Amino acid sequence: MEFIAGTNFSGRSAALMARLRKQAPAFFIGPHAEAALSGLSSTVADEIEIYRAPKPDREAFAPLDFAAYAERRPPTLSGGEQVLLAVHCFSLSDYAAIGIDTALEQLDPDNRHRAISYLTHAESQGISATLADNRLDRPPGMTVHEVTSTSAEFACDLTAAALLPACQPMAIKVQGLSFRYPGGRDIFRNAGVKLESGHAYRLIGVNGAGKTTFCKLLAGVLAADAGAIELDGKPYAPWRTGNRAFAFATQNPDHQWCGATLGEDVTRRRGVLERQGIKVPPDETLAALAARLGVRSMEQHLYELPLVARKRLSWLWAFSGVMPWIMLDEPTLGQDRTTRDALADAIARLSGSGYGVVFITHDDDFAARIAHRPLRISDRLIS
Amino acid sequence: MTPNGAVAFALLVIVSALLARDPVGLLVILTATSCFALASRRPVWSALVWSCGIVLPLVLFMTLVWIIIVGRAPHEIAANVEGSRSAASFYVTIICLRLFIIAFTVQATFLHFAGWTPLRFIGALALPRVAKKLLVLTLSLIDTILQAVDRARTALIGAGLITRQRSWRNLRHGWILVQTVWLTVITIVLGRTRDKWPVEDTLARLEGSLAARATARLSATDFGWMALAIATGVAGLR
Repeated sequence: MEFIAGTNFSGRSAALMARLRKQAPAFFIGPHAEAALSGLSSTVADEIEIYRAPKPDREAFAPLDFAAYAERRPPTLSGGEQVLLAVHCFSLSDYAAIGIDTALEQLDPDNRHRAISYLTHAESQGISATLADNRLDRPPGMTVHEVTSTSAEFACDLTAAALLPACQPMAIKVQGLSFRYPGGRDIFRNAGVKLESGHAYRLIGVNGAGKTTFCKLLAGVLAADAGAIELDGKPYAPWRTGNRAFAFATQNPDHQWCGATLGEDVTRRRGVLERQGIKVPPDETLAALAARLGVRSMEQHLYELPLVARKRLSWLWAFSGVMPWIMLDEPTLGQDRTTRDALADAIARLSGSGYGVVFITHDDDFAARIAHRPLRISDRLIS
Repeated sequence: MTPNGAVAFALLVIVSALLARDPVGLLVILTATSCFALASRRPVWSALVWSCGIVLPLVLFMTLVWIIIVGRAPHEIAANVEGSRSAASFYVTIICLRLFIIAFTVQATFLHFAGWTPLRFIGALALPRVAKKLLVLTLSLIDTILQAVDRARTALIGAGLITRQRSWRNLRHGWILVQTVWLTVITIVLGRTRDKWPVEDTLARLEGSLAARATARLSATDFGWMALAIATGVAGLR
């Protein structure tokens, strides 16, 4: 197995793609779902069938019971489940080469270990695997290709980020929460949890447990089937009244833009927030914060940014101090060690200033840098 | 029954419904379609409800316009005669019954293949490879739009621009949702066509997968259903 080492913006992704193009046709799993799945199938069963070789001649990678997912639409799977499905499809195919660009960072520790072991052993079956991953540091047994070019174009400096005045505490209480996706299994059943501001909470659970779903319920993206949420002792139903408590940085940064450019995104959010009486920092302050996150122009087209830069920019509203609660879904995806460490320190500063933080990560080293309370999601409960 | 036979039956019924001249002929065709739906041995209730849901807005609109407001049938207006509301009712009944039969026939066809995935169904159709690929790509685009709607809603609800449930805010910012959806569709499609598909040669793989699913063009059962469709069509013309 080959490992492409380097920092962010060193050209790792380009190097990985160049390697795959030489080996084409080769299976590719990109950092986010659009580049992990074929996009040609309406169901998980079809996704598997598109890639299945007439006579599969290698061991199948099946960490999940994909038969139970057969009728699901692939985009409705969680980020980690999509990556597992992609590796499963590869294992049934006759591709001789696979390239994975940081996608394994989305997997929980067990599944990540399984996937890396599978790819390592697959070499003995004549398969060439190339990996870019921020959490592997010169892994033993892998041929390392160091990519050393550097670019300061999107360099970020988080040392001065999240230095905010103290936030007024705002506690959250969730009671009797039940939720299931249409036609799916129960994600939560009568779950409850109390979250106190000024603390960081880490959501833990296997891929597909419901971590992102919990964040979406708090932000009002999803509506609970039953249960109640209280914000500072008052009923809070964000699915009806709108989100006014959580700055939500989604796992895929492209799930949170409200405009084509940064300026458009800021203007639209400002309008709606100010109408609700929420104080928003002036444009100059937000522009300065965006510059610290690596984007130096408000006219910057969001979708033209590299994915890593988009991910960093997705922390803008979390670090702006607009909302009392901050939710970060897999904030370290695609980020190199230096950025991860700086991000962890910034989150610690936020919770120290009285902000409530809910974050999801499978990166134990990152989580260890933040004083936090773990919240485990399993068996449809939060404990 | 093969997918080819089901599609042929559906097309024949749709043509028959369009050519039928009176409600009796349409009821004969509807009876044949109902038998076709029942032959799937699956619950037909949801298919009926779905078809009624499709036709209901048309029924309301045509009742308002032709029966209540105009009060005459189109052929009466063309002939410049006084006309009557009963003639207008007759006209509305035929048009709505036609649409109901078309909607129900499509649903009945899906009932026969309820356990099939879209890829399996398209793969089994006796169509040129290019046509099958186009069908899959069309479904893929529909799925991409659905995915984009989901993504855009997540973004706008998370930012507080819209709410999950009905609100004035949604009306005010609905255009932003539409803009975000299309921007997202373009981004997703570009992402796939730039990296994933070229390096994997995914479309060639799809072609192989579709070819592997080719089945018999038509079975004896198919011919039976097609004959019934033709017979009811002829009955409807009388």
